[in-house]
Order: sequence, then structure tokens, then C-alpha cells
Amino acid sequence: MSLETVIRSIFSTLFIASVIRISTPIIFPAMGGLIATVTGVPNMALEGIMNVGAFTGVMVSAYTGNVWIAILAGIVAGVLMALLLGLFHLKFKTDLFMAGLAVNLMSMGGTVFLLYIITGDKGNSSNVKSLSVPELSLPLIKDIPVLGEILSGHPVFTYLAFFIVFLVYIFLYRTRYGTHMRAVGENPEAATTMGINVVRARMIALAISGVLAALGGMNLSMAYLQLFQREMAAGRGWIGIAAVHLGARRPLGVMLAAILFGFADAISNQLGSLNIPSQLVQMIPYVTTVTALAVYAIQQRQAAIERMKRYQKEHIEVLATGEPQGE
Amino acid sequence: MKSFLQSKGLRESLRIVLAVTVGLALGFIITLFVSEDPIGAYKAFLLGPLSRLNRIGDWLEESLTLILLGLTICIVFNASQWYIGVEGQMLLGAMASGCVILYLPLPILPRVILAFITAMLVAAIWGIIPAILKAYYKANELVTSLMFNTIAIKLFEYVLKNFIMHEKSRSVSSDMIPKELRLPTFIPDLPFLAGIREMWMKNTSVSIMVYIVIIAVIVVYYLLYKTPFGYELRTVGLNEKFARYGGININKTIILSIMVSGCFAAIAGVHLTLAIHNRLIQNMTSGLGFEGINIAILAGNNPLGVPVAGLLYGYLRAGSDVMERSSDVSRELVFVIQAMVLLLVTAERLLPTIQKRIAEIRQNNGNGNGKNKNAKNVKEGETNVA
Repeated sequence: MSLETVIRSIFSTLFIASVIRISTPIIFPAMGGLIATVTGVPNMALEGIMNVGAFTGVMVSAYTGNVWIAILAGIVAGVLMALLLGLFHLKFKTDLFMAGLAVNLMSMGGTVFLLYIITGDKGNSSNVKSLSVPELSLPLIKDIPVLGEILSGHPVFTYLAFFIVFLVYIFLYRTRYGTHMRAVGENPEAATTMGINVVRARMIALAISGVLAALGGMNLSMAYLQLFQREMAAGRGWIGIAAVHLGARRPLGVMLAAILFGFADAISNQLGSLNIPSQLVQMIPYVTTVTALAVYAIQQRQAAIERMKRYQKEHIEVLATGEPQGE
Repeated sequence: MKSFLQSKGLRESLRIVLAVTVGLALGFIITLFVSEDPIGAYKAFLLGPLSRLNRIGDWLEESLTLILLGLTICIVFNASQWYIGVEGQMLLGAMASGCVILYLPLPILPRVILAFITAMLVAAIWGIIPAILKAYYKANELVTSLMFNTIAIKLFEYVLKNFIMHEKSRSVSSDMIPKELRLPTFIPDLPFLAGIREMWMKNTSVSIMVYIVIIAVIVVYYLLYKTPFGYELRTVGLNEKFARYGGININKTIILSIMVSGCFAAIAGVHLTLAIHNRLIQNMTSGLGFEGINIAILAGNNPLGVPVAGLLYGYLRAGSDVMERSSDVSRELVFVIQAMVLLLVTAERLLPTIQKRIAEIRQNNGNGNGKNKNAKNVKEGETNVA
């Protein structure tokens, strides 16, 4: 395939639709990570919880034949893993980072272990017949020429992901409990004196992040593909954490960061058909992540220096004029 | 004072023994559910590594790599840097040493030494970017180092497929490294040891890396506890603000800690290339980097504890291999056990919480009058000791 066809395909509606599809499994864990991070418990186990969710969804759908029960089971499994993390961190004072790594390790080993027992295969679950979530064609929008192709016909999870961004925004900034959670993240001591139960708020935040990460995992195994693979999340949980940093801990920013990674991934898929070594092309999403993090960090640093200078200037001026003012 | 120190150390080690026991017990319970012959499977798991000489050799070889990785993580964790780019550093170190060994026409000894040095340099340099981003710009080193791991894996595959691999060869790998360039066996070539040496070499390939690892453990201990750099590193790790107040150059310390730690990851990579695989192949590190974290944590970030933890985890890994080959239980069981041990070891408040709960139950029920409660009381006795 020539460069021209690749460029043409990048500017096609199909490509934009694929960006949306690839971004979805990053948006879910990123939103989960966001809620956990603003509450002061950055969840490092998103990756593992995604694997658990993906695995449970596939297996339950294969044995019950009902997609919705499977999704429910996946969510429950994700929440249980998140609560295990919460139990050890909040009650037994395990370092959050280490507990997160332990949960990841357990999820990785546990899913492969069970996969082998159930299917006799350690690589993937193609031996069992699992289901996928239905795709949704939007009634009116699908008839609009360009927009219809981009927006319609995605799996249910994709619409859910973007709706959840909206919900997370409403929850964190427009509800009482969301505000409490942010207070717990900003200053737990102050929140305690205001009568907020810090441990409970953090436990709930972890549980929500477990729900979202599990949904992200099921998006991989029940929509993106129709089977479970060993270590299926393949770093998406970590990219979700990167998105939280990059998006300045704001729902919209985090979503845009997740879409940026989806875009890089989609580009690397397209370039795969060119005559460039595939390994170099596969690096693109990860290099993009690092570059974006670096640019963001440098910018933040500059902004901080700028603020400090302004503060010093004001402070020194106040001292010089001898008028201590409120500002 | 001395007895106090001893009692604290005793308490710590008892806690770890307890955690490992609970982890193994959990593993056995899981085995009971899934296996046709749980006792046989678990016996293979627990005793397998000792059953044959070549298995002992496998265990030791695996442990050497693990100890080096544990030391790597130990250094960065002592500085409270959550840098886990070990996997990438190890892989690129392996690649660098492999290239030097395969392509540089030098006499044997300088070539091997150069292989070590190149590997260490490459690994140290690979750590620089995440280190600078962390030190100067506060970019989350955990995320950047993980991204760098994936980039390193892709880079390794790229170089291997496009420059090192022969077009004719079927597997994605380099040529075998000639025998004389591999690391020699660790038993010296002395007349009275000839018999043992012969037998050992026939069964295993545990190399002089044993001595390098022992030296590495001592070097890391010395570096962390007896040098100004180590003091600065640990101070930054304990309290960054205090370190800054004390006039320590924090940025320099962070960057150096990551670069120095990379050198040990590189030695682990050299070990993979020159003693275990004897060539460069795809997936040669296969997730070993994360094991380093488990080991450092189990050792309480103390370099002297790392060899013990490394031997233990090497044993568990070797045992799980034997179990997989001789029974119907897959080796991934060991990850679940490791995760459980990790959680239990790092749970600082676990024992006090259990003690409190038991005391409450006791108060509510008066003296234990059921068998169950007696068992709990016994357990409390244990925890008090711990």
C-alpha cells in the first residue's frame, strides 16, 4: 500500500470511527483512575482489574448465554478486586502502590490460571463460545451522510463511555458527595473535621474505579474482540493513569487525553500496512504518551515558576510600599 | 540496644515467614479445588526444585537473575522513586552485551568485560529520560518508565529482526554464542574439585555470576549505607523536603539513583545472554522485571535481605515449573501466591487489627468455650510473638 492511500484513509470517516472505537477502552479506566485520584487513592491496579473484568465477562457470557448477566458479573468481579485493594490499603495500611502491584499480579496470574482450567488453553478463550455486546445504530443520526458513519453503529460500550465522562463530571462537580470526595482528596484532615468519613469515601472511589476498569476490560473482550486473551489489557490501564495526569485531573481533559492515545494507536494501525518495520510503528502510542506527559510536565513547571515570580513581585511591592494588604 | 535490634529483626522475619506460610496455604487450597491429585502437585511444587541436580541448577540460575533485579529495585525504592523500568534496562543491557560478544573481534577476556561495561552504560542511559522528567519536571516516573519498557521491548525486537537475525534462520534469534565466550562455571578449575566440577557442568550451567552477584550485594549495601551518595539517596527517600533543607541536590540524587540501579539490571541482562539463553531471542526477559519489585519489597528494601528473597522466589518459580510439567496445575498459581505474600508482608496494620478484633471477641464472649475460639486464641498467641 502506498503512502497516499494511507493518508487518504486517515482522513476518512472510517478512521475517525476507529479512533472512537480504540479510545473507548482507555476512556473507561481513565475515568476510573480520575475518580480514585481526586479522592486521594490513585488506583494502580486498573490494569489488573481490566483483565479480571474482561475474563469474567467472557466466561459468564459463555456459560449463561446472557450478555447482561455477564456484564453484571464482570462489574462485580472488578469491584471485588478494587475492594480487596481498598481493604488492604485503607484498613491494613499497605502502601497503595504496592497493594496495586499485588492486585495486578494476582489478576494476571489468576485469569491465566482459571483460563487454563476452564478452556485448557493458556493463550486465549477461543475454545468457548462467548458473546459480544450488541452494536447500536442511532435512529436518526445514521442517515446523516458523514456524521452517521462516524457516530452510528458502535458497540453499546462506546456510547456508554462518553456518557460516563458526562456522568463523572456531574458527579464530581455538581453533587454533594462528589464534592466531598474531592475534599477528601485535597485535604483529608480538613474533610474529617467537617464530618466526612474519609475511609468510606475512598473505598467508594476505589469501588467506582473498579466498575469502570471492569467495563473497560469487557469492552476489549466483548466488543473490540469476542474472546479473552492472556494479559488482554496490554498496558491500557497504565495509559489510563497517564491520561489522568495529562488531562489535569478534569473529566473533559482526561477524555481528550484518552482520545489522543486512541488517535496514536489508530495511526499506528494504519501505518502498519506501509513498508515500515512493524515494531517501530507499534512504538507510536507509547512514544506519544511519554512525549505528551513530558510536554505537559514541562509546561506545568513553567507555569509554576511564572506564578512564583508573580507572587514574589506582589509580595516585594507590598513590603516596599509598607501597606500590608489582603491580596 | 542489641537485643532490641534483634527482636525487631526477629519480628520482621517472623512476619515474613507467616506471610509466606499463609500464601503457600492459600495456594494449596486453590490446588485442592482444581487438581485431580492435589498432594502430588503440591509436592512437586514444594520439593521439585531439589529433586534433581539440574533442577537445583535451574533454581540457582533463576535466583541469580532475580537477586540482581531485586537489587536494582532496592536502590530506586530506597530513594522513594517508583521507577520500574527494570525490564527495559535489562533487555537493552542484554542486547548490548550480545552485540559486543557476537560482533566485536577482541580477545576473550576484554570482550566479556567490554560486554558488561557496554550493557551497564546502555541501561544507565536508557534510564536518563524518565529520570530527568521526574527530577526536574515531576512527571510520574511510574507511567513513563512503564511506557519506556514497552518501547524497549519493541526496539529490541526491531534490532533483533532487522540487524541480528539471519534471514535463513527459522526462529527469531541471534546465532548461538560460542562456548568459550559464555560465562564459565563457578567452580574453579582445581585438581581436587575436578570431580564435582565435571558432574556440575554436565547437569547445569551455573556460572561465575554467583561471585558477581555476591559482590553486587555487598556493593549495593556499601553504596546505600556507607557512602555519602547512599546517605543522600536514603534521605531523599525518607523526606524530600528535609533533604532539600539539608542542602542535598535532590535532582542529581534522583537521576543518579535511577542510572546506578540500571547498571544492576544490565548485569541481569548479561546473565540472561551469556549464561542462560546463550543468545539473543525474542521474549527473553518475559516479565522478570516485575519480580524484582516483589523481591525488593519482601526484603524490606534491604540489600542484605535481597539474596534470601531472591532465592525464595527463584525456588517458587522453579517449583511451579516442575509442578506444571508433572501435574495438571499450571505455573500461574505461583503469581497468586506471590501476590498474597506481597499483600500480607506490606500490610503494616494487619496483625494489630487482627489482635484487636480477637481481643474484642474475647471480651464479648468471656472465655472461649468453643473449639473455634480456642483455635483463635492459639492464633493470637502466635501473633503476639510476631
